[in-house]
Amino acid sequence: MLPALRQISRPAAFALRAARRPAAYGGARLTPFTRTIVTKRYTQDHEVVVFDDATMNGTVHITNYAQSSLGDVVFVELPTEGTEVTQGDQIGAVESVKAASDIYAPVSGVVEEVNTKLADQPGLLNKSPEDQGWLCRIKVKDAAEVEKLMDEEAYKAHCES
Amino acid sequence: MSLPPILYHYFQLPLPYARTLALQERIHQIQLLRRRSGQHQDYLLLLQHRPVYTAGRRQLLTSPEVEAEAARLTHIGADFVATKRGGQTTYHGPGQIVGYPLLDLGRSTPPLGIREYICKMQKTIEMHLAEAHGMQHAPSEHTGVFLDAQTKIASIGVQVRHRLTTHGFAMNVTREPRGWFDQIIACGLADVKAGCIADASAIVDLSSVSVVGEIDGLVKRFGSLFERDMMKLDMSAGEEVVDAIRAVEEEARLLGDWARVPAAQIL
Repeated sequence: MLPALRQISRPAAFALRAARRPAAYGGARLTPFTRTIVTKRYTQDHEVVVFDDATMNGTVHITNYAQSSLGDVVFVELPTEGTEVTQGDQIGAVESVKAASDIYAPVSGVVEEVNTKLADQPGLLNKSPEDQGWLCRIKVKDAAEVEKLMDEEAYKAHCES
Repeated sequence: MSLPPILYHYFQLPLPYARTLALQERIHQIQLLRRRSGQHQDYLLLLQHRPVYTAGRRQLLTSPEVEAEAARLTHIGADFVATKRGGQTTYHGPGQIVGYPLLDLGRSTPPLGIREYICKMQKTIEMHLAEAHGMQHAPSEHTGVFLDAQTKIASIGVQVRHRLTTHGFAMNVTREPRGWFDQIIACGLADVKAGCIADASAIVDLSSVSVVGEIDGLVKRFGSLFERDMMKLDMSAGEEVVDAIRAVEEEARLLGDWARVPAAQIL
């Protein structure tokens, strides 16, 4: 992840223009830069949305902090593809050690895809919560909603509070 | 900053399951609302249910099987209710203590994680069995409390929403639940049977083991493991949660008697 992305609080389009001037970052070598800008934002309930502003897709995960406090995941309940959700709606649940924890939509939009691998491999949520254990992809209605969520620093502070 | 006491209440009469679930939901909503101004309380409800089989969240998705089970079990005189808690099919009925801790896991700093919450609940039961009855539990990879690999004496199944808990644990005290447990594969464990305190207590005279006799000890140990003061809920207070509890107690009283044994199965 380019370090610049974490500090940018302005709309994603601005970040794109800024990154095209590598000199602004002390002349550090940058890997070939793709058009996609990806922002990661966190909720109070330990969901994370990885938002691609080019496609308006938000991939929803639970955080590593969440999976470690849950224990071994044995079952994942996911929303149905095509469902329209509002930020904060209950969209499924994760079951571990006989506890079913509800998960909530971090953003409003339409559920485009759910991770069907989780039906047979619920443990992916423990092994790879922020990568292969993705829960669903939402077509985000309003990018501003994403921006209002916590960034990584704020989330880390939230976990320690 | 010290945490407020957990308010506990023991229900004298066995309660209908669906109605008690509605009570839990009501208290959950009240907690959610009051939490915005930091005025919410934590509760521990201790009770028995009228005979009922309940299914967990996973089983909502396998409808035809669950429907068939529901039909079979209601024929033998029990209720059947599908729930949103973790865990699978189990039985609740007179002779078994059911505990519903309705807690805000986010009260403490740092918040209590779910795995830790389940662990403390499990340890409360294990400690109670050891101290009050000289009963040693057998360690198991499965959540719940086992006396040996084939004997399960207590089950746990919980739901957590925005760090507020509902559902909880169930511990077999007398022999009354056993015949009902024999009708199902409880908790998805095929070779496991239900144990109870009345079969195994090394301290209390087996013929005088009773549900009410366990309450004070359980409450004390719950408070000790959760590091919270336990305070009896003041039922004379005019307040929403108290009113809701009183309503359920009155309904239970009006329902009268319940089936003591499963009705013979209709083949």
